Amino acid sequence: MTVVSRRQFLKLSGAMAATLAIIELGFDEKKIYADSKNIKIFGVKPTPTICPYCAVGCGILVYSKDNDVIFTEGDPDHPINEGTLCSKGTTLRQVFTSDRRIEKPMYRAPGSNKWEEKDWNWMLNKIAEKIKDTRDRTFIESEGGAIVNKVESIACMGGAALDNEEDYLLSKLMRGGLGLTFIEHQARICHSSTVPGLSPSFGRGAMTNHWIDLQHTDCALIMGGNPAENHPISFRWLLKAKERGAKIISVDPRYTRTSAQADLYSPMRSGSDIAFLGGMINFILENQLFHEEYLKTYTNATFIVGDEFDFNDGIFSGYDEENRKYDKTKWQFKKDENGEIIKDPTLKNPRCVFQLLKKHYSRYDVDTVVSITGASKERFIEICEMYGATGKPEKSGTILYAMGTTQHTVGVQNVRSFAILQLILGNIGVPGGGVNAMRGESNVQGSTDFGLLFDSINGYLEVPTTDDATLSAYLKRITPKSGYKVNNPKFVVSLLKAYYGEEATKENDFGFHFLPKITAERNYSHLRLFEAMGRGELEGLFLFGQNPVVGGPNSGKEKEALGKLKWMVAVDLWETETSSFWQNEAGSDPSSIDTEVFFLPACSSFEKEGSITNSGRWMQYRWRAIKPKGKSKADLEIIHLLARRLKKLYKGNFTPVAQSISALSWNYGEGDHPEIDLVCREINGYDMKTNQLVSGFAGLADDGSTCSGNWIYCGYYPEKGKNLAKRRDNKDTGMGNYLNWSYAWPMNRRNLYNRASCDSSGKPWSQEKVSIYWDSVKSEWVGNDIPDFGKTTSPDDQNGTNAFIMLADGVAGIFSTSTNDGPFSEHYEPFESPVLNGLSSIQLNPVVQFGDQDFNPKGDSNKFPIIATTFRVSEHWQSGAMTRNQPWLSELMPHMYVEISEELAKEKGIKNREKVLVSSARGEIEAYAMITKRFKPYKLRGKNVHHVGMPWHFGYKGIAKGATANRLTPHVGDANSTIPEYKVFLCDVRRVQ
Amino acid sequence: MMADYIKFVDVTKCDGCRACMVACKNWNDLPTVTEEYSGSIQSHAKVNAHTWNVITYNEHETANGGFEWLFRHQSCLHCVEAACEKACPEDAISHTEFGSVVIDHDKCVGCGYCVQNCTFDVVELATYKDKHGKEYRRAQKCTLCTDRLEQGLEPACVTACHTDCLIYDEKEKVLSEAEQRLAKIKERFPNANIYNPQGIKGTTTVYLLADKPSVYGLPENPKVPLSQIVWKDYAQPLGKAMFGVTTMAVVGSVIAHAMNREKGEHKGGQDHE
Ligand code: SF4
Ligand code: SF4
Ligand code: SF4
Ligand code: SF4
Repeated sequence: MTVVSRRQFLKLSGAMAATLAIIELGFDEKKIYADSKNIKIFGVKPTPTICPYCAVGCGILVYSKDNDVIFTEGDPDHPINEGTLCSKGTTLRQVFTSDRRIEKPMYRAPGSNKWEEKDWNWMLNKIAEKIKDTRDRTFIESEGGAIVNKVESIACMGGAALDNEEDYLLSKLMRGGLGLTFIEHQARICHSSTVPGLSPSFGRGAMTNHWIDLQHTDCALIMGGNPAENHPISFRWLLKAKERGAKIISVDPRYTRTSAQADLYSPMRSGSDIAFLGGMINFILENQLFHEEYLKTYTNATFIVGDEFDFNDGIFSGYDEENRKYDKTKWQFKKDENGEIIKDPTLKNPRCVFQLLKKHYSRYDVDTVVSITGASKERFIEICEMYGATGKPEKSGTILYAMGTTQHTVGVQNVRSFAILQLILGNIGVPGGGVNAMRGESNVQGSTDFGLLFDSINGYLEVPTTDDATLSAYLKRITPKSGYKVNNPKFVVSLLKAYYGEEATKENDFGFHFLPKITAERNYSHLRLFEAMGRGELEGLFLFGQNPVVGGPNSGKEKEALGKLKWMVAVDLWETETSSFWQNEAGSDPSSIDTEVFFLPACSSFEKEGSITNSGRWMQYRWRAIKPKGKSKADLEIIHLLARRLKKLYKGNFTPVAQSISALSWNYGEGDHPEIDLVCREINGYDMKTNQLVSGFAGLADDGSTCSGNWIYCGYYPEKGKNLAKRRDNKDTGMGNYLNWSYAWPMNRRNLYNRASCDSSGKPWSQEKVSIYWDSVKSEWVGNDIPDFGKTTSPDDQNGTNAFIMLADGVAGIFSTSTNDGPFSEHYEPFESPVLNGLSSIQLNPVVQFGDQDFNPKGDSNKFPIIATTFRVSEHWQSGAMTRNQPWLSELMPHMYVEISEELAKEKGIKNREKVLVSSARGEIEAYAMITKRFKPYKLRGKNVHHVGMPWHFGYKGIAKGATANRLTPHVGDANSTIPEYKVFLCDVRRVQ
Repeated sequence: MMADYIKFVDVTKCDGCRACMVACKNWNDLPTVTEEYSGSIQSHAKVNAHTWNVITYNEHETANGGFEWLFRHQSCLHCVEAACEKACPEDAISHTEFGSVVIDHDKCVGCGYCVQNCTFDVVELATYKDKHGKEYRRAQKCTLCTDRLEQGLEPACVTACHTDCLIYDEKEKVLSEAEQRLAKIKERFPNANIYNPQGIKGTTTVYLLADKPSVYGLPENPKVPLSQIVWKDYAQPLGKAMFGVTTMAVVGSVIAHAMNREKGEHKGGQDHE
């Protein structure tokens, strides 16, 4: 057996792990550690998994032995992290070893102050009875004359940490079987502004590029995100770009660990993003830094806008003040007699999009921008110049963002501003470019793809409403006349076949009436869900790993609402603040709370198998490293066991309340644990007659001959035994795209819109950055990526430059006709702001909708003069349940604190390490003062304003405990996505006497 | 002859993620030592018996009025001339073939001389209980993951580090690359320097620092005091021969104490904010 020569060190880490003795995966066992008798991993076979925390999707090796996990380390074969990890990935071991894991089902009776252990059977039977009882009493068959077949008294939340297969079964059971309309999850409160921001701009709502691609950038603008802390391994690739000479710009209200690595940092007060970005757009247009050819070829800059479009003092044409709504028909393009949009290729017509864009943002001059944002003039100009340099055809710039962008009343327009900026610079579709929405939960991409939000069903198809009396009416509404979405009927019918199998026939509209219909125009999102709960309209709630008592806006109020429920089912690894909201510790009086609580212990990600989809849309498989801890179970099994019981309860019953669940096809084997391969097949889709797997969405039909549980994933499992999510070939196929590693939706394309990486003739803008190009000899697109375009559609074809295939016009939308709050972005002040809007007389986004007032008291800037924001830290994750229950991570970040500038501390007489009270109109919390040079007071429109920030991970459970920042945050949301405005509100800070 | 390898820490690449801290705990099965709130995000004032590396965070106003948030991976430097080794009356501390300075726990009696004499204040005593419940103490610190090195694996912290702030590679190569890197970062960090103090004949963990050593709480020009060299290389062998090991340990304690007082000024002067 080989003894390692000392010279081999560096390679060895990789080689060592290549002993992945998982022979099925095709690894050679190189017996290089045969002599490592003394080290603890000697002879232990590691199992590869993917990190369950953020959506970078790093590979981890789990070493388990004697039913214990003895070590976890980065997977050196994984192309994204190459053996490295952040602190959370490194400590994955303690997700298993922590003695705080809940290992048995627990029940809390009404009025009781304690948990009782129960067995699984008792729990599941009881839950199934509760569901049936609630449904049978509250089922809605018709509404306003329309058949709706729905249940609006039970809500289901969570799913971003589940596997794709689990998310699929979850939305199938909850929507397709039980008829729920209140289906929501973490994506609503983290990235729901991304989809409506990116979709009208580019066609899809996903991160455009992928992590490894960041290395090709020439300049990264990081704004509304803090990747060094929250997506740490992304920094590996940004630093590689930096080695190549790329620049990093960090714009953030406070100086972060990301800022420390940046070439340029600028402060910007929370809530002034559009002013900042509008200023950049203006600067780039004024100084001719834009990419003109790209603009003319790939965007709607040339389109002529109809005469009715107008903009005046913060308001676009078509405003209905009473309903706080726009009539979007006033924003349409001008068409000729043939119905074709009129264009001006010279960009000179004052009514073309380009000229209107220039006019709109001309108001965002440098002086105005700095007075609104609080940035310094010099630094702002430096940033405009540095980032504007990526407008050169051969250069690319990338934008990285997360919750700092999305969680605002203007969240969607923040994202739209990024899109516009990138389009004028020609930075979309190119390697090292893109608008990269950094997802923060390992599978929040997948959970969103699988329809776990009230307004979309699998694959981003719009949810049916009371306006859709029949399948054909529905299909007519959701199918445009051009663009790829003309295929929507195939995707919908294939989904109905996947849901209802034989019960979905042509005669019965493929079971379209089994699907619940939401009330048209009604909003069922997180904010409204809790308000409905507060009004006592909900009886039951499912929580799959979601913890709103820590993570919800105005969380104290949301906690109170939970007490109005009759029953709650919490599926989690840990006892969360939400599942134990009735305890004294939570500030509740157990005897006065009648909610029955069922706690079902879930197992962790490496105690089961399944796939997750990272932020770059890579669908990666995770194998089981160890059996579930204690009596915990995989969510897949929990959903399955529940579905079987419900089907049994309703067996043979085809009355309206029973029909959807009776018709639901649920054939995943005989065992208690469903056969995951059968779930995978159904997601991909197959021919209903031959059972042959479909090789891609082009193979789906609208006549009921195929099924597919999610069209965008169709093709990941093209033939028997070939689940492409399991691929682990880490040879770089070119430009770091690793086409044979896992699978990326759609159709394994790694960078979206890559047709735009070439000029109109099909030649790459940069020879250093070749994505795809037109090979005139072969007459097809070839290169380093799979074309996100017709493979044989020649550049000369009439659609040959329609790089944005998902949009009806084939070109990207600088001007959007579908966004609720206007075709261009416009700066408005946050719900709570200490200053007046410096750009118009309209203070707040004029189409923001308000919910129940008692959920959202508004703070007055005289009483609460300080701007506050919340943030995350590298060492904790989301509501902290996963990390605050682990010793090592808790040790790194054990205390709740608030970051305060030296100037504010002095004014308030606060010393470092002292305890302070932070209060808002919603509540008050205690935290340690962290007096820091990283926060500075802002000068806004001549006024000095203080700004503080605090982590929102803490709660009263776990090892690391602390006050919950979200007790302070407002219950108001964006005009399109209703994402809560977590990221900016007013507060006051004072010493604890 | 095998090439010399060193652990190299380029602090200008560090993004403060602290994977190295938990990678060390995970590999070495170390328990937690949770500290009181410190007023910064730094978790521990300095390394301790169960926390063998600590990331320090320093909000630093530069000479020209600028601001830098300076991070440093703090752990044992594995000095070529190691004061701890010289101080140990039991010969429990030695250099391995990798240049790492390791403590032999079969020989260590927990007297603590190394703790008091370490040039960089990175050794501490850990308290354990034997099977009869009796407490005993042993000196603990970073081992440079010598057990991993023996098997051809990089140190655990190095493996985890995603920014390549930490690397483990051939000394010659690393040092020449470090010079180039230094030239590159001078513009932003005019005081940047390579920290490989020659007064102790160099170290096996070498730093590229963004500012003067003192900004990081490191001695500018450390030396092992002559008294200690005399103690280790002459007095101790002689003493043991004359008085026996136990008596010598008592004598040693007095001397160590005196030496400690002598170098007291840099004790506790770590780069904690
Ligand atoms: S949390 Fe994110 S960056 Fe850290 S190891 Fe996991 S996937 Fe990688
Ligand atoms: S740093 Fe201290 S413990 Fe480490 S070798 Fe040097 S003197 Fe000894
Ligand atoms: S080299 Fe090993 S023992 Fe030393 S700090 Fe790194 S991980 Fe810990
Ligand atoms: S792992 Fe590397 S980047 Fe992270 S804190 Fe440690 S040295 Fe710095």
